[in-house]
Amino acid sequence: MTAMEKVQSPDHLEGARVTLRKTIIVCLLLLTGLLVLMVLMSLLGSEKLPVGGSICAIGTFGRGDCGLTSDQSLILLNIRWPRILLAASVGASLAAAGASYQALLRNPLAEPYLLGISNGAAVGTMLALVFLGAFEWARPLLAFSGALLATLLVYRLAQGRAGATPERLILAGVIVTTFLSSVIVFVTTLMDATRIRSFTFWLLGDLSGTTNELLVIGIVVAVGCTTVLAAKARSLNLLMLGERDAFDLGVEVSRVRLIVFVAASLLVGSSVASSGSVGYVGLVVPHLVRLSLGGDNRLIVPAAAVCGAVFVVAADSIARTVIAPRELPVGAITALIGAPLFIYLLKRG
Amino acid sequence: MLEARNITVKYGSRMAVSNVSLRLNPGELTAIVGPNGAGKSTMLRTLNGGLRASSGQIILDGMPVHNYPRRRVARRIAVVAQEADMRFPVTVLEFVLGGRFAWAGNSAWGWETAADLECAQRVLRETDLEKVSARLLSELSGGERQRAVLARALATEAANLLLDEPTANLDLAHQATILALVRGRCDADRASAVVVTHDMNLASEFADHILLMKEGATLAYGSPEDVLTPQLLERAFAIQVLVDAHPISGVPRITPVHRALGRL
Amino acid sequence: MVCVAGCSPREPQPANAQLRQITDEAGRAISVPLRIDRFVSLAPNLTEIVYAIGAGERLVGNTTYCDYPAEARQVEKVGDTLHPSIERIIALRPQVVLVSTASQLEAFTKQLNDQRIAVYVTDPHDLEGVFRSIANLGELLNQTSATQTLLIDLRSRSSAVENAVKSATPVTVFYQVSARPLYTAGRDSFVTDLIKRAGGKSVSAEVPGAWPRYSAESALAARPEAIILPTGGSMGDANSTVDEHLKNSPAVINRRVYKINDDHLSRPGPRSVAGLEALARALHPESFNQ
Repeated sequence: MTAMEKVQSPDHLEGARVTLRKTIIVCLLLLTGLLVLMVLMSLLGSEKLPVGGSICAIGTFGRGDCGLTSDQSLILLNIRWPRILLAASVGASLAAAGASYQALLRNPLAEPYLLGISNGAAVGTMLALVFLGAFEWARPLLAFSGALLATLLVYRLAQGRAGATPERLILAGVIVTTFLSSVIVFVTTLMDATRIRSFTFWLLGDLSGTTNELLVIGIVVAVGCTTVLAAKARSLNLLMLGERDAFDLGVEVSRVRLIVFVAASLLVGSSVASSGSVGYVGLVVPHLVRLSLGGDNRLIVPAAAVCGAVFVVAADSIARTVIAPRELPVGAITALIGAPLFIYLLKRG
Repeated sequence: MLEARNITVKYGSRMAVSNVSLRLNPGELTAIVGPNGAGKSTMLRTLNGGLRASSGQIILDGMPVHNYPRRRVARRIAVVAQEADMRFPVTVLEFVLGGRFAWAGNSAWGWETAADLECAQRVLRETDLEKVSARLLSELSGGERQRAVLARALATEAANLLLDEPTANLDLAHQATILALVRGRCDADRASAVVVTHDMNLASEFADHILLMKEGATLAYGSPEDVLTPQLLERAFAIQVLVDAHPISGVPRITPVHRALGRL
Repeated sequence: MVCVAGCSPREPQPANAQLRQITDEAGRAISVPLRIDRFVSLAPNLTEIVYAIGAGERLVGNTTYCDYPAEARQVEKVGDTLHPSIERIIALRPQVVLVSTASQLEAFTKQLNDQRIAVYVTDPHDLEGVFRSIANLGELLNQTSATQTLLIDLRSRSSAVENAVKSATPVTVFYQVSARPLYTAGRDSFVTDLIKRAGGKSVSAEVPGAWPRYSAESALAARPEAIILPTGGSMGDANSTVDEHLKNSPAVINRRVYKINDDHLSRPGPRSVAGLEALARALHPESFNQ
């Protein structure tokens, strides 16, 4: 009887918790899905490319002779793929940052965009453009600093006598967001008139224009910081249920908080520096992932990162094909999908 | 072994705890009782290093508690405090496994080992939560949730248990079950426990020592018989009480004398 | 008589005697005084037209963007084209405010109407439309003879350009308004017409809208032979490099990227003909070298 119980019990409890095996399998499946989606989306665009030749060129990383004209392979490999990779890194960054902020701040509504952290990064990027326009590296650096400062500001504002309640946090986020928005408006007014339009469109989220350096930074930061956050996920699991309890159970709360703040700010900063503010990714994606995979951040953080990549790659494909050869800002598409979905999720409770 | 030496805790200029000492010997259960605002919960939070004492020391196994890394403290002191946040979907098993955090080694990559799982199952059985272990915490009743919080604390296998009103939301049967569980840990595993409670009779029945606090200070500290006297309780609560011997166990039994009762 | 809310210190203008009914380029019927002594311009191209037809001294207010001719800088500023100050305009007591459709000031127009200030809207979509706007403003501001002289000059210069490039093979052009994100001139922009007249064929000539955001791959796939960068005027040094994605286009490979003063190309006014000339010389240097 006891022997039977011992054999059976792991199976019996399989559904009640997340295992390393499940995490690896789910993440691999999602990654495969992302890869397939990226290949499919790279076949779509305002210009028609031969499908067979394109797949051959993707498979051989452009080295094989696949019968594409030089323009066609430029479009596929130098225009579409960098953009799709950027979309994936931005989506992964924002979703992983969103999931971690939510766990750390114990608030499912916490999101880089809604907390004003994206705006902090946007102000940083803007200052880099205005004062240090010549230095390419200044953009991600100042964007990161802006994101971190905005995070600390929101966190400080949200701390009341009774700690940071979710309501205080959202209020603090609204205050910081609107304050930084007016800083942005103020600076854009001071900027050259002709630069305003391209800047305001950039603020809406734009994946079309990035340099190879920013793309590489974006991918390295996305993978690196998501790994760091996933490594802190067991502490996040406890923090998610209460800061005091987590402390009592052995979590070095302030150290974990600092690591998460820095890693998440890096994620938000690098994605804003390369592509402006893409809203709702950090809100909707972790929400949907939790709905289907539960609450263990060791699974949720990496899974949300991959799903965020899927979401933004798909949204940007819509943005660049639906009224081709014209284009829409990707932030408009994510908000268009994200806002109603979020309202629906809120209504469901 | 956990010991508090002349602890004073201040919130700003307000003295929350003043010069209180407490000693937890293995196998002993201590109850902290006293009126609201007496500093009971503050004392409890100070015991595991959650609050800094402005003077005095907390000594855990021969060393000040603040000299330990948090994980090492968590392996020795478990706390049952407020209820957990329910905004995220967490199953009861996942929640209870949280108690194993302090034991995580680098070998398992931050994942629970078979030993962790075994321990969690054992405490789930002890707290009568086995059947709901796959359910979400948010779907549990108040009593089940409180037992889950206790189960998580027991899963730490800490030698010192600090419980802040562990029986507040529980019915009669579960109140006794919980304290019996804690008592069992003390008797069988030589654990020590501190329970903050408003229930004098539970304290009287289960505790070896009682610390009676008022306005942050120690009013009395000793055996239930010594502390639960009509005079001391009247000084603490400003209400008349009747103390007699429990008909079965013989421990002090406390009955508040309400005005209606007094007229009889 | 009791003065009610919204009462203006000015007497309403005497009816019909000194007023005339006209229709502006947006098709709106408006009444303006027979002779206009005070008016405001809310767009740099309109300010340029006003000075070119000799009505500059009656201009009592313009925008911070109005920097040409030099006298225009001295005129009282009422804000910029997108955010004019309604209070400042009312305080200047103009009889007419000149507005360009590009600035999208519908709500604003209504407020001015409530103040009995006529709003004249111009709406040119091509070079012919620019000439029509000049003629209309000449009539509005009673400068018909100066306007005639100006138009004869502008028309002869533009015909000269068009004749010079008439027989040349059209050059495929990509007009880059900005890179990152990539913007170009669409069907409704008068630049598209200028390019056509200059012997070019804009890649985005059939794309709806005036200034659409454009797909880089479409721009590359169209294999533009020349790329025009409007820059160096109000733009300063902005937009002075070709979008990264077009580095391999025939235009860049054959070094046919031309920077042309953006004020000549983005302001549908008298200097548009200079823009046309610069475009034609860039696209067909062979036609101007005899």
